[in-house]
Amino acid sequence: MTVVVLVEQLEGEVDELSLQALALARELAGGDPLTALLVGDGGSEASAQLGAHGVATALAAEDERLAAYAPGAWARSVTDAIERTGASAVVAAGTERGNEVLSHVAARLDLPFAANCTAIGEGPEPLTVTRVRWGGSLLEEARVHGSPALLSVAPHMVAAATVNGADAPAVEAFAPGLADDDLLVRVSEHVDAVTSGISLAEAKVVVSGGRGVGSADGFRMLEELAELLHAAVGCSRVVTSAGWRPHTDQVGQTGTKVSPDLYIACGISGATQHIAGCKGAKKILAINKDAEAPILASADYAVIGDLQEIVPAITAELRKGRT
Amino acid sequence: MAALAVSGFLFTRRAKLLVDLVRLGKPSDRSGRLPQRTRNEVEIVLGQRKLLQRLVPGLIHAAIFWGFLVLFPTILIAMIGAVDRDATLPWLGHQGWFALVVDVFAVLVLVGVLGAVYIRKVQRPARFAGSHLGEADLILALIAGIVTTLLLWHAARIALGLNEWPAGWSPVSNALSGLFGDNSATEVAERAFVWAHVVIILSFLAYLPHSKHLHIATAAVNVFFGRTTPPGRLEPLRFDGPEEEMRFGAGTVPDLTWKQTLDTFSCTECGRCQDVCPAWTTGKELSPKLLIMALRDQVFEEGPPLVRGAEGFEPAPLVPGAVSDNVVWDCVTCGACVRECPVSIEHVDHIVDLRRHLVMMDSRFPSEAEPMLRDVERASNPWGKAQSERADWAQELGVRVLEPGDPAPEVLYWVGCAASFDERARTAAQSTAKLLLAAGVDFAILGPRESCTGDPARRMGNEYLFQAHAEQNVGTLNEAGVTKIVASCPHCFNTLGNEYGDFGGDYEVVHHTELLAGLVREGRLRTDGDAGTVTYHDSCYLARHNDVLADPRELVEAVGQPIEMKRSGKRTFCCGAGGAHMWMEERAGKINDERAREAAETGAQTLAVACPFCTVMLDDGVRQRGDELRVVDVSTLLAESLDSAGERPSGPPGA
Amino acid sequence: MRILVCVKRVPLTGGRMVLTADEQAIETRHLGFTISPHEECGVEEAVRIVEQHGGETTVLTLGPPEAEEQLRDTLAMGADRGLLLAADGEEWDPQATAAAILAAIEDEQAAGGDFDLIVFGNESADSGNFQVGIRVAHALERPVATGLKGLTVEDGQVRCEREVTGGRDIYLLPLPAVVTVLEGINLPRYPSVPAKLRARQKAIEKRAPERPDSRLEKLRLVVPPGQGKQAEILGEGADAAPAVVGVMRDLGVA
Repeated sequence: MTVVVLVEQLEGEVDELSLQALALARELAGGDPLTALLVGDGGSEASAQLGAHGVATALAAEDERLAAYAPGAWARSVTDAIERTGASAVVAAGTERGNEVLSHVAARLDLPFAANCTAIGEGPEPLTVTRVRWGGSLLEEARVHGSPALLSVAPHMVAAATVNGADAPAVEAFAPGLADDDLLVRVSEHVDAVTSGISLAEAKVVVSGGRGVGSADGFRMLEELAELLHAAVGCSRVVTSAGWRPHTDQVGQTGTKVSPDLYIACGISGATQHIAGCKGAKKILAINKDAEAPILASADYAVIGDLQEIVPAITAELRKGRT
Repeated sequence: MAALAVSGFLFTRRAKLLVDLVRLGKPSDRSGRLPQRTRNEVEIVLGQRKLLQRLVPGLIHAAIFWGFLVLFPTILIAMIGAVDRDATLPWLGHQGWFALVVDVFAVLVLVGVLGAVYIRKVQRPARFAGSHLGEADLILALIAGIVTTLLLWHAARIALGLNEWPAGWSPVSNALSGLFGDNSATEVAERAFVWAHVVIILSFLAYLPHSKHLHIATAAVNVFFGRTTPPGRLEPLRFDGPEEEMRFGAGTVPDLTWKQTLDTFSCTECGRCQDVCPAWTTGKELSPKLLIMALRDQVFEEGPPLVRGAEGFEPAPLVPGAVSDNVVWDCVTCGACVRECPVSIEHVDHIVDLRRHLVMMDSRFPSEAEPMLRDVERASNPWGKAQSERADWAQELGVRVLEPGDPAPEVLYWVGCAASFDERARTAAQSTAKLLLAAGVDFAILGPRESCTGDPARRMGNEYLFQAHAEQNVGTLNEAGVTKIVASCPHCFNTLGNEYGDFGGDYEVVHHTELLAGLVREGRLRTDGDAGTVTYHDSCYLARHNDVLADPRELVEAVGQPIEMKRSGKRTFCCGAGGAHMWMEERAGKINDERAREAAETGAQTLAVACPFCTVMLDDGVRQRGDELRVVDVSTLLAESLDSAGERPSGPPGA
Repeated sequence: MRILVCVKRVPLTGGRMVLTADEQAIETRHLGFTISPHEECGVEEAVRIVEQHGGETTVLTLGPPEAEEQLRDTLAMGADRGLLLAADGEEWDPQATAAAILAAIEDEQAAGGDFDLIVFGNESADSGNFQVGIRVAHALERPVATGLKGLTVEDGQVRCEREVTGGRDIYLLPLPAVVTVLEGINLPRYPSVPAKLRARQKAIEKRAPERPDSRLEKLRLVVPPGQGKQAEILGEGADAAPAVVGVMRDLGVA
């Protein structure tokens, strides 16, 4: 079956989450080659990497009006691509843009849209999918009654996979028929972030604190450890509500979702909405006084005890190794 | 006569203002319970019971106070004698034994004054920091002047032979009379002394209501109208009034109740409250004495225009105007101040009313407490954990969870949020459950249907949220037919037992130490004294607010060798978690550290507690200090001793 | 300014997910409830805009009768009126939800004039479908910006801020518009008790829309197998530090 995949890229580099989406799309397509849709500058450049992920055709929409992100224009690109390819499904990564664009497509075509899917079931029509609820703490099996099926793929729930010996896809120039309305909502300005330092969403290591840290000052020992590890400092929702850290530091379902190599959760009990924000981590280390805290059920490693003693001890041990 | 009139006029005019200021206050029901009130009046005022809690200063004050009571007729005698040298009070003025009494008590007063001077000028205790010492000095000088002129007057009269009884009956005056010859100089002196005496008294009378010495009038009244309800109980508010009356707590001077205004007039700035306040002792801004003084000053500043009805006069907010936010939030509601106060000032009620206004009207409170309030409201417990997980601690213990429709148990074990959700507090619940099962007590827990009693919300001032929980819990308990409750948390114990009655919940409520001590006495639990040296920390809400002192000690004695801390029993020093401080940060020094230090200094191996908050706070304190001290709930000590007792061949209980 | 905010009543789930026997819903018997977090911030934002520019805030929810509790909470925060669309005990899929909300909006606008701004949460905490706000905007033919962390109303347009890597993207939308917001755009106020008491008197209208068939049909819910992992205990207290650093080195982060 023909599956169109909306692939995101920045300056010619394909977004990792789009590669994960391609893996699920390949499964959906039952091994058939995929068509990738890339919108904006750098699309044709980026498409070269996609052959290894099962893409045979790349539609590159590089109209200069598409240089700045505009959800309506992207949605138009998708609907035009559906028409052009006769696709029976459209897949995107479950990023902010992916979900936004497919929602627009769904609204325009009066079709159902299953956001954040993790698996494909029976199909193709109606298609059964497994999708994420509660940020990942719960799964839903749902049937999509409509064609083409519109799906986005939950970040970090499906592994990207490459095929050997695949050629680069054939790139076709693609000019969606953009109307003025499509461009009404678009990025008019970009304001650079004032804060420097390691961004929570991109950090390889996150040192995170919860209720157990006890106060705003208590975070200083976490900041010290974070500095040594070139890590970002995160926190749980109760910490933000208590006014100890800004919301930008909050990790959780309604905060930032992180996917570091190591997530260190200090004094965090592990409510599901927090786990939803950090389960993307490769490894989770929990430091907690309570051996029965829910977080231990989601952690790879744990140290039981008082974080006020343990965190400085880790910092000291790290420093020892470096002198 | 003229002097009397002037003094009387000044006194009356000021007194009228004071009465008007008190009447400006909102209502506070202090009616009824006359026997209790009378007993308080006799014990506290006449008997000086609270003053004698500090023996030496208490005796000093008692000397002066009793002296003044006894010497009161001499004021009249002097006034009569000032006008007519030969006239005196009918009957009493002629009694020799009275002259003796007067001499003795006059000396007693002088000794008292000297003692007071010694304390204030030589010892200079810290509790006077912030008090108006100059005022005190003046008052002591006036008192000294009054009795000195009295003695000298009597001495002069004896020298002139005007005494109606053998001079030996008034030995001191007699001795002093040796200073005077029977001559015209002495006649002048005699007049001078009596007039000086009268003038000092009249000046004192006029000065009195302008100074803190006005406590001699207000204290007796304040004590009479003091609380007769349990100390741990707060007065509920009503939320069903019309919209115009939607004002809660104390935001400005007119919001204070008449009792609160009277409180501020009764303060003598003695500082005993300040001395025992855990916040002040650890370097924080709050001093109960300074708080009451600040409120008093504000009443005097804004009260008169309010009484006059000055047009367009808007009273200023008490917080941060007279009292800073820190002062309001530093309080842990331990009640040590109230316990010390010799004139029955109710500092905790003042603070809670200030909090009520800040929280319920202004939404102005430490931000770190906001999650707790939201969690109590939405998740029904201050930890924000799922109520469905509330009975997890009891898994595999064989504890009966009471479902709707089940027959009521003989006693309901109210576990409390802390023991349900905090890993350190949990052990106490598990131990208690094991003990109750071992003793064969018919009990059950409510599990997920037990929601927060509302205590932290109430102590923070969110009376509305508290009442919602009170009503809900009373509904659950009454529907289940519960009549007797055992609680392992003193805060739950206090709220269920003393406060839920206002919402239709009348239960027999005991603390787990009371129940367990009873079981040990009855032989239903056997113990052995293997726990080594144990020092027991009295929880404020058990010992001071609720008089539970003996039972926990019985349990400690049954399992180990007790060592008492200096600040124990009703003098106990708070762990720092009360007044919702379990959820608030401490600025400046740490109360729990201070108490942990005291415990460690006893040299005991174990620090026994009977409260989940004390468990957490003192364990934190001990760890922070690095002490070798095991912090454990009394029930756990008992359960451990039970295990070891169970392994030995049966012997007499408590062997 | 006439503002409409759409909210949803969601349970507070705690440490683990427990399903009902029929696997159709979370067991909520002993759970508390709240307004979905992004939406609570949406209400706060609307109330602030009205405080600044004048006008009125209406809050709408599609939910069970108990959702009145959440509406009262929004009224206590400063919203002026509430609208409860009774969901018949079933779950409504995103298209059905959007249709019900749309019908209510059209009725409201016919009666009281257009809403200048309609606010949604970016996604609801439970079902997380991301699409209801966009569907409603599309049906009303109004521009929509999503995932906002900043919102300023100025002269007939709204300046929308969205966080991206390295900073914020700005969108300028002419009013009337639709926006979806994220938690963190503001800190919702803690209502005073008089506000709560007054909220009890404010008007809540009730309607009962008809539910169309589901096009995203929920078959069943599943608790993900990952839960029940048992962490490897590296040690207790400060003594575990060397083991921790060992793990960090193995992972290549130290």
